[in-house]
Amino acid sequence: MISVNSLTKQFGNARAVSNLSFEVVPGVVTGFLGPNGSGKSTTMRTIMGLDTPTSGTALVNGKPYRELNWPLREVGALLDANAVHPARTAYSHLRCLAYTNDIPLARVDEVLGIVGLTDVANKRAGKFSLGMGQRFGMAGALLGDPSVLLFDEPVNGLDPEGIRWVRNLLRGLAAEGRAVFVSSHLISEMALTADRLVVIGRGALIADTTVRDFTALNGPDSVRVVTPDVQSFAAAVRRAGGEVDLVPDDAVAVRGMTSAAVGELVARERLIVHELTPVRASLEDAFMELTRDAVEYRSGGSTEAALIGSGGEGEL
Amino acid sequence: MTFASGRHSSRYGLRQACRAEWAKVFSIRSTWWTLFVTVVGTLVVTALSASSAAHHRPGWYQGFDPTNQSMSGLAIGALAIGVLGAVVFTSEYGSGTIRSSMAATPRRLKFLLAKLLVVGAVALAVGEGLTFSCFALGHAILGSSLVPPWSLTDPGVLRAVVGSGVTIGLLGLMGAAIGAAVRRTAGAIGIYVALLFLLPLLLTKMPGNLARFTPLIIIANSIAAVVRQTGFVSPVVGFVLFACYTVAIILLGAVVVTRRDP
Repeated sequence: MISVNSLTKQFGNARAVSNLSFEVVPGVVTGFLGPNGSGKSTTMRTIMGLDTPTSGTALVNGKPYRELNWPLREVGALLDANAVHPARTAYSHLRCLAYTNDIPLARVDEVLGIVGLTDVANKRAGKFSLGMGQRFGMAGALLGDPSVLLFDEPVNGLDPEGIRWVRNLLRGLAAEGRAVFVSSHLISEMALTADRLVVIGRGALIADTTVRDFTALNGPDSVRVVTPDVQSFAAAVRRAGGEVDLVPDDAVAVRGMTSAAVGELVARERLIVHELTPVRASLEDAFMELTRDAVEYRSGGSTEAALIGSGGEGEL
Repeated sequence: MTFASGRHSSRYGLRQACRAEWAKVFSIRSTWWTLFVTVVGTLVVTALSASSAAHHRPGWYQGFDPTNQSMSGLAIGALAIGVLGAVVFTSEYGSGTIRSSMAATPRRLKFLLAKLLVVGAVALAVGEGLTFSCFALGHAILGSSLVPPWSLTDPGVLRAVVGSGVTIGLLGLMGAAIGAAVRRTAGAIGIYVALLFLLPLLLTKMPGNLARFTPLIIIANSIAAVVRQTGFVSPVVGFVLFACYTVAIILLGAVVVTRRDP
């Protein structure tokens, strides 16, 4: 598991990560969500010992990464799929990595099989397409059969089939009891992949919760109704204690009532309804709501807030 | 639940890192090209240089140093081996491989040391191979019956040949350390070339005869010389200076690698 404790990372005047604490536990996929430049990559690089924290700690299985006995057998990471010498073959790259941690070479063939790149094992990595590159990066992460896995934006640039493949792989790894930590700025993708969410904005923690609680708390459910007689319908809903909003496509959204209650109301009042659909609040709405709050909170004040605002991610 | 394989040597170390770095160096084609250029370039220049000194009238050979003449090609070898060393680091920084390397070997000094050991071993082997080949080529072209006598058993000859090979090994390390400190291929090669070729040119224009302390001049006029030449440092002083330069540049590289995140 990963535990990040009061982690702060300062680049010159810019604070990329600010007093961040959270845990990534085994057996579930933990999504790491935040807008571009919010400090996700810096946090992951710090966990991997590639960035030195300004203060605070990032521990993997209770130790700083640099003190792990066999780092690749404990932690696997895909931080940057392009981090491969373009002239080296896929097999050679993984073989070199395997040597560093005494990983048997049979495992190289195994992971190339898992990600479906066996046929191109002796092709130079520079010739890989974007999708192949991501798969290859996955192979590198899986090489040491680690119990902790980190993926930074693994679905970037993938086609729908590839995205689905990544999703299933991540969920499968978590189901095997591994701690899986995956960053994304694609909220919809996280809704499908993650069980838990760590949400950050401008380097600071916004939420650390489950996907279900996150949406429930931050975006109320509603019922979408299409009716030819909007006025009578709205009046009936208000009498029943609900609220009605006009939404696009000549529909109305009912809040404060379940879809069953709306259906019964329609029958009782003998109204005509063409469509009645329960709408789950989207993670996206919840996310926008929360990060907007964070922005407002931050811009409320001090010079420190202004400095945080200029904090870049230190993009690779 | 256990995920890691069952092997239990206590932890990753220099042995594992060296094995990986060795495999890395020889798994890209550019290494072989650079080595090819190093060997061919050196031997061609030695052949040309030796030929130009062959078949003169006996008086021409007054003060002639056939061993030194045979080592002429090392200027090319020195250039190429430094480039090879530099690229070992800069190609990792350029391609981003450095991050997967440092994730695999997170102790940075261990990582640096493994790379230096591999580069040093390769450069030393290449260096000795080159100097002995140059020596043999020189003999083939110039003939063995020159004054001073220059078989490997004659005074100073073996020292010059072996010593010159060692300097090539050290130049490989210097190139690698510059690469580690600078991170960019063009910058690292630029600095290396400046150190080797530009610095002595600049210093000869200045008073004080400081050029004799620069690496390439030390090789050409001190270490590879059997006939002691006036105005240059002795082989021992030259070698000590050379070693000091190498250590200094390696320390600089070590400071940058440990202090500056990849």
